[in-house]
Amino acid sequence: MLILSRKAGESIVIDGRIVVKILRLEGELVKVGIEAAREVPVHRQEVYDEIQRNNREALTENHPQLPHFPGKPAAPAPAKRQPVKETVS
Amino acid sequence: MITAELTETETHCTEGRDIIRLPFGLLGFEHVKQYILLANPAEEPFLWLQMLDDAKRAFLVVPPERLLADYQPDISDDEVEFLGLADPADAFLLNIVTLRGNGQATVNLKGPVVINRRTLIGKQVIPNNAAQYSLRHPLAAS
Repeated sequence: MLILSRKAGESIVIDGRIVVKILRLEGELVKVGIEAAREVPVHRQEVYDEIQRNNREALTENHPQLPHFPGKPAAPAPAKRQPVKETVS
Repeated sequence: MITAELTETETHCTEGRDIIRLPFGLLGFEHVKQYILLANPAEEPFLWLQMLDDAKRAFLVVPPERLLADYQPDISDDEVEFLGLADPADAFLLNIVTLRGNGQATVNLKGPVVINRRTLIGKQVIPNNAAQYSLRHPLAAS
């Protein structure tokens, strides 16, 4: 890992297109500003990691049968799943 | 204008294959950018967000208004601009459901998938107020 020392107000340029600026220090917090093109997704890592993990857990194979959830009538024999219609209006 | 005909009371079905494009994929599935949305009346209000190129693989999803009356994710201006959401009514929200066995399931309220009904371009977003929502909101089966 490349390690750089920066003072508040100083920046790092990545790949000529992403600027990471150390804005200020507030106790244990470091305020970081990131300038990047819109097509560069930027996430807090712990949030990114937990949603990524949750997505992996959520992926289903071969369309499993759903449990019976409250408020829903008991499902009859499943009909064929159909694409949801998108209408042109 | 193209609109997704999805209402509280009915879900139309055809053999049409309207492709939902997620330019960034889903987190952890960044390389899968094209999906179709499948419905089965017996499974309402749940839908399947199925990978276009792999019919076996799908995410169970649900429009959040069918579960929670007061779900108000605060989508950032950058995301709104990216999705081209000129009107909030253009946004079609889907939350990913995880089946956890033994009749248990959870819904991810922290990372909704927002789809523009007109363009069918979507993105999994992390709302500004994500901290107040659960990643594993329980959805207990009876």
